Amino acid sequence: MTGSPILEVRGLKVSVAAQPETHIVRGVDLQVNAGEVHALMGPNGSGKSTLASTIAGSPAYKVDEGTILYKGEDITKWRPDERARAGMFLSFQYPTPIPGVTMVNLLRSALQARRGAEVPAREFIAEMRSTLAQLKMDESFARRYVNDGFSGGEKKRAEILQMGMLKPDLAILDETDSGLDVDALRTVAEGVNELKRPDMGILIITHYERILDYIKPDFVHVLVSGRIVRSGDFELAKQIERTGYDPILQELGITRTEEAVAP
Amino acid sequence: MTQATLAEQYTEAAVSAASVHRGDPDWLVERRAEAARAFAALPMPTQALRPWRYTDVAGLDPAGFAAAAASVRIDGAVPAGAFVGSLADGAAKVPVVRERLGSLLTATESRFLAANAAKWGADGVLVHIPRGVAFAGPITITVDASAVVNEAVYPRLLIVAEERSEATIVVRTTSGDAPVMAAGAIEVFAGQASQVRLLLDDRWGAQTRDFTWVRGRLERDSNFQVGSIAMGGLLVKQTVEALLEGEGSTSGIRAVALGDANQHFDFVTLQDHIGPRTTSFVEVKSALAGASRQAYYGITRIGLDAVGADADQTNRNLLLSNEAKADSDPVLEILTANIARCGHHAAVGPVDAEALFYMQSRGLDMRGALQLLVSGFFYSVVGEFGLPEIADELSGRVQAKLATATL
Repeated sequence: MTGSPILEVRGLKVSVAAQPETHIVRGVDLQVNAGEVHALMGPNGSGKSTLASTIAGSPAYKVDEGTILYKGEDITKWRPDERARAGMFLSFQYPTPIPGVTMVNLLRSALQARRGAEVPAREFIAEMRSTLAQLKMDESFARRYVNDGFSGGEKKRAEILQMGMLKPDLAILDETDSGLDVDALRTVAEGVNELKRPDMGILIITHYERILDYIKPDFVHVLVSGRIVRSGDFELAKQIERTGYDPILQELGITRTEEAVAP
Repeated sequence: MTQATLAEQYTEAAVSAASVHRGDPDWLVERRAEAARAFAALPMPTQALRPWRYTDVAGLDPAGFAAAAASVRIDGAVPAGAFVGSLADGAAKVPVVRERLGSLLTATESRFLAANAAKWGADGVLVHIPRGVAFAGPITITVDASAVVNEAVYPRLLIVAEERSEATIVVRTTSGDAPVMAAGAIEVFAGQASQVRLLLDDRWGAQTRDFTWVRGRLERDSNFQVGSIAMGGLLVKQTVEALLEGEGSTSGIRAVALGDANQHFDFVTLQDHIGPRTTSFVEVKSALAGASRQAYYGITRIGLDAVGADADQTNRNLLLSNEAKADSDPVLEILTANIARCGHHAAVGPVDAEALFYMQSRGLDMRGALQLLVSGFFYSVVGEFGLPEIADELSGRVQAKLATATL
């Protein structure tokens, strides 16, 4: 039951914009179709977050080679806001605090941008309430400043709230599990499952397997030194949970120290 | 009128005659005459003086402008016993005016203040809050210079808050598209345990140049909070000072400026800790588009007797375009070692790239993201001022101004 392609990454090579010699992603091919959940795993520093940010259009990174297709269209040169309006969503690993801007303000502006039209206040409030309820979040949350003084769990839930309002066709969840205790992780993962639609693709970036116990991936990829070195199904994630990344690294002839040094 | 005849209106003879003609009491006629003498003696400030370093006042000598008066409208409920109205009326009716008027901002300290003391007219306002009286809501004083063309206005406000009184005063300044020169003076006497909040809401027209002084003197346990929203005008220079004389007094100065095109903002602040255990807070922020400019010169002074003083001073400037420019010049003068805290922070730079990417990744284009970021940047200053309506309205005004600003 494979749907049409949502995301196609082809031969992607990425460096740091401010340091062009620092090559982080070194040739990645990846396809996420509608209805699929992909997990991208890998040790620290393997380029997972860089890949996620690059797909979302972060100006901090520069695409040296390759293309990114979204719903069949080459978006490699699109601005981040154009990608977002087209239905791409990045849940940040470290959501940025924005003091003085309430969640309500951000959500309303973002929703208007996504729809390309004014969203009447009443309609907006109704949608926000139902999304908050769906994610079992208190309404007072929406009146707080974006990510300002939020706990780790609150930050991640705020990301999922935005995802719920914006109804993306591609959701990239960058280390959504990091910094969460088991209860917070379950809440956030349940939120993602609530928001999952058959016509959307999900790419979960994670270091650990545990979030995948809640959001079952159809495909698992292992990124090492900027390349996907293994792809498989959920069993691959479970294997990593049991043995860590070392056996894979050893098989590839990479030692931990090299891995840490390799950009 | 020619330059010579314009200048004649500022002579002692002309000032005294006009004062008598207005029906000022004798003491006020004499005060104005003194101010005229000071005006004759004082030079225009030059950029060699530190508070004037960033602002060129060439061509802005008050003597080159005919004096006019802005019209004044006062909104808000005034409790029985309090006086909110014309300063000329107050000078005749409220005894405390004679002692206080011109005693904090003296005519001899600046040519602009001398001109103001000599020439203030129907735009003089007195707010007198008797002992123990609290105003229920804000009093809004709208100083409207929209009928003024190529002339100078000298708005003057005297606020006397007696012991344990409480008031919030909003001063809104407006003008039309024609050139206007304004030199304003606001004196605030915060009596023992009084609470005075003053919000300056600058909505000057695009060709107005404004020099305004605010000075508050704080008695024991009083609290004086100043907020300033600077968005209008071609040149706006505000000097805001809190003299923390009384033990346990507290002052706050929060200013925000949003510039575009060739707007020039210049803030000078002084938090002068004179009495023991005094607390002060200053936060001056700007967001600058186009070729606009912001200068900040802020002094935190902790005097010999100000043991246990707690002072904090912050200046943050967001540059929204490559042409915008900000200068920050914070100064600390600490004369006693026994203090609680004396902090200062200054930053000038573009919008945080991470915050910008975060907003963009939510679908907001660059301008939309900046609109939200800047209104948030400002809200954190004004939102804490306790006037939520004005804070909410500010957000809309910020967004509207940035909708067309040169980024």
